[in-house]
Amino acid sequence: MIEYLLLLMGTLIMIFGALGVLRFPDVYTRLHAATKCDTGGAMSILIAAALLIPAPWSVKFKLLVLMFLIGLINPMISHAIARGAYKSGIKPKVMVDMYARDNK
Amino acid sequence: MSRMSFYLKERLLDIEHRYSIEAHESKILPPREKKIITWLISMTFWLVITGNIHWQNLLLGSMVSIVVSLFLYENLTDDIRFKGNTGARLLSLFFIEIPQYLFIMVFQLLESNVKVAKHAILMDINPGIVKVRSNLRSDTGTTILANSITLTPGTLTLDVDQKLDRTYFYVHWIDVTTLNMEKAGDEIKGDVERWLEKIFW
Repeated sequence: MIEYLLLLMGTLIMIFGALGVLRFPDVYTRLHAATKCDTGGAMSILIAAALLIPAPWSVKFKLLVLMFLIGLINPMISHAIARGAYKSGIKPKVMVDMYARDNK
Repeated sequence: MSRMSFYLKERLLDIEHRYSIEAHESKILPPREKKIITWLISMTFWLVITGNIHWQNLLLGSMVSIVVSLFLYENLTDDIRFKGNTGARLLSLFFIEIPQYLFIMVFQLLESNVKVAKHAILMDINPGIVKVRSNLRSDTGTTILANSITLTPGTLTLDVDQKLDRTYFYVHWIDVTTLNMEKAGDEIKGDVERWLEKIFW
């Protein structure tokens, strides 16, 4: 039961993340939507897969390891993209920018 | 006058805090404990990667892990606070503190996923880059805190600035509700910083 709920939740999060990627105005806010796809969507779908598939425990455990690796790599990648975009001069559409104020 | 006394009290608290940090710095983990923790981490990694528990595999993995932990014990565990004896510390680390972190992160992830889904539907975003202060000073603690901030959707660490006394994070926040450094820090970091301060300095 709970695995089908998790699958449904992951799919919904993926759909809303794709909607966010399409609708948000600039690089940084779109990155938030992409991060959401990874953390919420992929992680809950992986948990559901680990509960659903008829496989030995080692395979199920490796799905959880994949989840751990996603949690490890995803922040690094999104930080690298955001910082690279900022350093290459893409101005964020924001209300307040303390980073630009401190690094004049 | 009252303002002056408030200022003095704040300075006194600040000095006390720095004294406590330096007292912790004098108590770094002993090398034996560092080796044990490094051995445990590399052994867990070996078991997870290979995925079988035949005795030959276990023997080979433990020998390789011993060699690794003898040479590289200073890299991984340099920032962990030392308190109490080894066994109780390790037990509390693996059975209380790591599940606590997972629990905190799961609820934060659920909450912020729902929030960002709401922003994607209604488009009521209010983005901004705010500055957040943290009391953590070690490299490992700063890294884990910055990664936890980035992992939750809705907040994204742009840069880390380590000054003499404190660490400052520049966080891109999708829905800025406050510009006050303390309140923004409470909302962004949540319970993760309090958890990290128990383990790293």
